[in-house]
Amino acid sequence: MKTIALRTAKSNQLYIRGLLRRYGTMAGFVMIVVFFSLLRPGTFLSPINLRNILEQISILAIVASTMTIVMVVGDFDLSIGSLASLCGVITASLLLHGVGLFPVIVAGFVLGALAGAFNGLLVSYLRLSAFVSTLATMTAFRGLALWYTDGSTLFNLPAAFLTIGQGSVGPMPAPILVVFSVLGVSWLVLTQTTLGRRWYAVGGNPEAAFLSGIDTKRLRFYAFVVSGLGASLAGIVLTSRLASAHPLAGEPLMLTSIAAVFLGMTMFKEGQPNIPGTFVGVLILGVLNNGLNIAQVNSYIQEILIGATIILAVLVSGLARRRI
Amino acid sequence: MVATQDMALRIEGLVKDYPGVRAVDGATVEVVRGEIHGLVGENGAGKSTLIKMISGVVRPDSGTMFVNGTPISFTSARDAYKAGISALHQELSLVPYLDATENIFLGRPYPTTRFRLIDWFSLRHAAKQIADLLDVDIPLDVPVGELSPATQTMIAIARAISVQATVLILDEPTASLSDQEIRRLFRVLHVLKQRGTSILYVSHRLEEIFEIADRITVMRDGRVVSTLPASQTSVDDLIRLMIGRSLSQVFPKRTRAPGRPLLEVAHLTSSKVSDVSFVLHRGEILGIGGLAGSGRSEVLRLLFGAERRGGGTVTLDGKSVALQSPGHALRAGIAMVPEERRSQGLVLSQSVVENLTLAHLRSFALADIFLRPSHEALVAKGLVDRLRIKTADVGQNVAQLSGGNQQKVVMGKCLAGQVIVLLLDEPTRGVDVGTKFEIYQTIRGIADSGSGVLLVSSDLPELIGLSDRILVLHDGHLVVTVEADQLDQEELLRLCYGRPPA
Repeated sequence: MKTIALRTAKSNQLYIRGLLRRYGTMAGFVMIVVFFSLLRPGTFLSPINLRNILEQISILAIVASTMTIVMVVGDFDLSIGSLASLCGVITASLLLHGVGLFPVIVAGFVLGALAGAFNGLLVSYLRLSAFVSTLATMTAFRGLALWYTDGSTLFNLPAAFLTIGQGSVGPMPAPILVVFSVLGVSWLVLTQTTLGRRWYAVGGNPEAAFLSGIDTKRLRFYAFVVSGLGASLAGIVLTSRLASAHPLAGEPLMLTSIAAVFLGMTMFKEGQPNIPGTFVGVLILGVLNNGLNIAQVNSYIQEILIGATIILAVLVSGLARRRI
Repeated sequence: MVATQDMALRIEGLVKDYPGVRAVDGATVEVVRGEIHGLVGENGAGKSTLIKMISGVVRPDSGTMFVNGTPISFTSARDAYKAGISALHQELSLVPYLDATENIFLGRPYPTTRFRLIDWFSLRHAAKQIADLLDVDIPLDVPVGELSPATQTMIAIARAISVQATVLILDEPTASLSDQEIRRLFRVLHVLKQRGTSILYVSHRLEEIFEIADRITVMRDGRVVSTLPASQTSVDDLIRLMIGRSLSQVFPKRTRAPGRPLLEVAHLTSSKVSDVSFVLHRGEILGIGGLAGSGRSEVLRLLFGAERRGGGTVTLDGKSVALQSPGHALRAGIAMVPEERRSQGLVLSQSVVENLTLAHLRSFALADIFLRPSHEALVAKGLVDRLRIKTADVGQNVAQLSGGNQQKVVMGKCLAGQVIVLLLDEPTRGVDVGTKFEIYQTIRGIADSGSGVLLVSSDLPELIGLSDRILVLHDGHLVVTVEADQLDQEELLRLCYGRPPA
């Protein structure tokens, strides 16, 4: 009798741990939303503020999606923040020199893809560690952006360009449309295509992937190209939204996007980077930021709270995972 | 009989259990002071576990040990070292970022100067003396990770002998050494012996054992079978003692209908294989025998495109094939079950179905882009039934399967597409007997369907029982090709050791 009682107690415990592991982060997100709704009833849940949140997170969501892909393959890309800034100032400068909108956007993407390809070359074919090479290119890209602008901000961008970040299609703000397309395409590629399946295989076990006939080098290379493209798109949208380009504007994106992917790894496809998880991670960070702003919490203290939240989420899911 | 006080090391009834297997089963060994004592046995006979227990790396479950007649019990390698036991293990435990000097004196107090700083000068001087004793030119100030495997071995040996040990244990010390370096090592061992150090010497190379050992202990299936004076025994006697088991395993019947030549390999050459030529026929299981490191896995990896070919040609069904990557090989119909299922065969973070279809993913997608999950699931379910893989459903994470079922998944990966030539590297390693039999049936079935199978196995009964013919490799060279049914284990092992047929 006693052993049976013990066993059910144990299986209950396992069951609760399973729930905590899968939905703990999600529950945390709901709690954050409820907390701010109660704290600032009229303001927080108002349609204007919700739309506001979505707009605020749009740029982060773009880079976090492509960062998810790099992390699926088992790497990091630390250069995306400064690459976004670099693409922002280059496109802004081309526009100010009178180049047409369409060629400018294409140029921005080409720059992003080339920069990503350079990272991919270093990591995949020259076998440097992703940490070292993207740390180095991060510094170099930042230097390029600062040198190019001499540290100044570029203003007076053409109105047509500003619609990317500020316009809307029907009731829907344009950047939010961009975000959902990026999220949708990333999700589709990762879950529904051979490319995504192979990316997960390379990240899971490079040796086994190689012995399954996968060109692991080329796939890691592609992931960095995608990451570069994501950074350039983020840089363009950011520049349009702010109606100006600053050589350090994209800096915070790198750490925050990695944090969002980590938050996302604690839910859904267990322990692995995944797009729905990343989206919830981005939402958590965005809602926290917005809610603390509305609650008029000192912005320095905000950073401390966000850091603590990330640790808490990863800790809870890690604890639930232990000793099973 | 030798008096007890002359025993440098005496172990009595040592037992060590690992989950599902008793690695060492009541081993008793006595090593006399100033003796070089050989220890031999097949792979998995328990030699490595035994010396790990003696050197304090692994704790015995029961049994007693005495050093110089004093009972000892170790909880760490440090304890063993303090008791006068110094060991060189098969996996060299050098710190790759430190130089030879520091590696030699690792874990020991360094000499210090008046200012309590490390006295690098005397440390290097001491290291130099040991290198001189070994008569080798070791670069003392280069991180050892940058040195060749042979030099690293010499450094590890230098560390082992730098201690004034009562008992020195060497596990396969010559695996990566040249003949000249082996000579130098043996000279040093003789010097140490004369100084009264006892040496426990483990090696697969029986000629070496005979050259250097005074007495030889043979292990089999975790037990000590016999301890013999080297002067009163022969290589053939040792081999008989090492095998001497009757594993009653049932192998599927040979349906021996050798078809047309399927895979013709001519002058295959790489860094570890030289000039290997053979022909694999349709419907044939061709075994490859040889010791670990003889180049058998290398042959498979070369044919699979996983390793760069130095020379030679491969013809599949009359057409020359390039085989530059595993992708090429798979598309040509050549599939491989790699040696290590967890590190090479499976993506443990993915599900059973994702693993099963990975190597032939192209055929489960539209235009190699959009996956067709229903088609994947259908084929995966078919493979699960055919190979009798025990899994809750095909979506289950492959890490949750038992070892035997994981091995079947690795096999299933090859069968998810068209397979003309199947390369098997240790297809039943770490698999229980029942599952082994099922895997044998599958392999024979594949051959019967007209494919060709190349089989590498360290399990001699398996190699003989399953193969039609066996190629024997020694040191990267093809020694001989024999009909499997004219061969017994003793004869095969003799061939593997590079000895002429009796």
